[in-house]
Amino acid sequence: MIGTLVVNDIKLFFRNRFFAIVTAIGVVFYLIIYFLLPNQVDENLGMAFFIEDREIPLYQRLIDENDENPGGDYTIFDSEAEMLTALEETGDFFVGLSLPADLSAAAARGEQVELNAYYAPGVPAEAKQIFHDVLVLVANTINPETLASLARFNDTGIVLGNDMTGAPLSMRDRFAPLLLMMIVVIEVFGLATLLNRDVDNGTARALITGPLRLHQFFVGKALMGMVLAFGQVLLLSAVMGILGTAPLLLLTTLLLGSLLMVGLGFFIAAISKDNTSVMGWAIVFIIPMVFPGFSVLLPGLSSGWMELIPSYFFVDSLHRIINFGAGWADVAGNLAILLLVGAGSMAVGTAAILRKF
Amino acid sequence: MAQPAISVKDLSFSYGDTLAVDDISFDVAGGEVIGFLGPNGAGKSTVVKMLTGQLTPQNGSATLLGMDIVKERKQVQQEFGISFEFTNLYEQMSAVENLNLFAKLYKVPDFDAMNLLEKVGLGGREKEHVANYSKGMKQRLMMARALVSDPKMLFLDEPTDGLDPVSTETIHTLIRAATQQGTTVFLTTHDMVEADKLSDRVAFLNQGKIVALDTPARLKQRFGMRALKVEVELPNGDIEVREVTLDEDQTPQTVFDLLKNERILTVHSEEATLEDIFFDITGRGLQG
Repeated sequence: MIGTLVVNDIKLFFRNRFFAIVTAIGVVFYLIIYFLLPNQVDENLGMAFFIEDREIPLYQRLIDENDENPGGDYTIFDSEAEMLTALEETGDFFVGLSLPADLSAAAARGEQVELNAYYAPGVPAEAKQIFHDVLVLVANTINPETLASLARFNDTGIVLGNDMTGAPLSMRDRFAPLLLMMIVVIEVFGLATLLNRDVDNGTARALITGPLRLHQFFVGKALMGMVLAFGQVLLLSAVMGILGTAPLLLLTTLLLGSLLMVGLGFFIAAISKDNTSVMGWAIVFIIPMVFPGFSVLLPGLSSGWMELIPSYFFVDSLHRIINFGAGWADVAGNLAILLLVGAGSMAVGTAAILRKF
Repeated sequence: MAQPAISVKDLSFSYGDTLAVDDISFDVAGGEVIGFLGPNGAGKSTVVKMLTGQLTPQNGSATLLGMDIVKERKQVQQEFGISFEFTNLYEQMSAVENLNLFAKLYKVPDFDAMNLLEKVGLGGREKEHVANYSKGMKQRLMMARALVSDPKMLFLDEPTDGLDPVSTETIHTLIRAATQQGTTVFLTTHDMVEADKLSDRVAFLNQGKIVALDTPARLKQRFGMRALKVEVELPNGDIEVREVTLDEDQTPQTVFDLLKNERILTVHSEEATLEDIFFDITGRGLQG
């Protein structure tokens, strides 16, 4: 009986042109994005220098290095303005260092020295940390005695999420968890609409006053949501070629992520009055659900409050499994939270829907 | 009376402070058509909702086919078909798909959707999406859906409300056919002609209470006033209408005098309608 209901609902889902087109376009579009993204890591960390005092040893050292390795990572500019323009416009440099003329003398006198580092747009926080360390080393090559004063910098960085220092990811790898989450999240809208319509049109009442028991109706709806969400994310994962990475763990994560979104779909259906309000509520919930995905894409954006968004645990688990080879023990906590939140929101949504009967 | 198909005892239900059904009791025999008559808000639909398990009674009890409507809710629900007050069909599916879905869920073997659709006059349009159907067509499909499982009992909540005469007649024919096969029919309506035509007994529901319950004929006999309407041509050529009340002592003499002394053009018998009787009992009309 539940199978009949699920098949019927899926038929209805794809009979709705809007849902069918959005689903098809979503899968194809996300796959196109994925495969268009570079699969290589750009490890050329270009550095721009402006050294006002060309008598310092560092200047000659950089010149020598460039002679030995033409096209290397260092470029010396004749003015700070030129360096900043290159930094901003060419995209060849991550950082520019401006060393003032009195650097050597001031350092020799043991005075505090101010060095300016300019970062290109989009340089992640951990990269800035690395360049800061480089800056310290550069200063020390000028006068080791300054080490004591420069070392007074006592920066402590807390890495939220995965510490990617030393393990750079290609854009494609970074995007993968976000795309997988997006395809699941979008299904929230479809499920909530169908469920709300069933309640609103009275077809749910016809079913449960007749052949179906109440729990069969809700199990049917939940399964329908799971089939749609899990089916699509599975298809996407297969085409992306990531299913080979800890397949059982990955499938479990995708399943629990789908459960979370199904629960959310139930909840949205419960609080919505009609299709328009489903759309409104779906937007209210879907947009925050996507936020944690960006913490994978741009780790510098990651903030502690993102852990308040349940989808964080989904995308974080995917990220760790796909990109860092995490095992069951590494993501067990995340999966437990996904299970609890998914089942909880489904229970709350079911209770709220019952009040509408 | 053998075990009643429906047995209701002291049933009550309130929506907040509003008492919708007030301590009603009645029995319905197997194969009987009972019409629940009353204006909007009288409590008809609440009674249907309680009997069909959509609402749990707050007081009292009821059995359908010997099964308790609360304790054996799902078993009870497998035994009846229901046509709801408002259409609740899958609009993006065809009539055949709607019926086949319910037949599958009811596990009806060898279900022939087309046969049923022909009966409700939807043959030839069975593959169209229900969204394109008129109100009458949808209501006929609701009726067909109620019959999918070949139920022992039918609950029909305002099945012809706002329908065209053709659709109304189709539904009446289906109800008669079902009762001929022994199906018990619980019909709620505020159409007194329909109730009079189809019901073995009618119950008048007013402000949640059953104020009268009997066959239409007996109700008319008890509460109504029979009369003759006689058109008489006067000597000057004018036409006058006279009413002769029947069942009174002087009625035979009055009729005799009329026949003897007047030039009678037409004679019509008149009897009270259920609406008249409802008005007499409750002081309000059925449309109110």
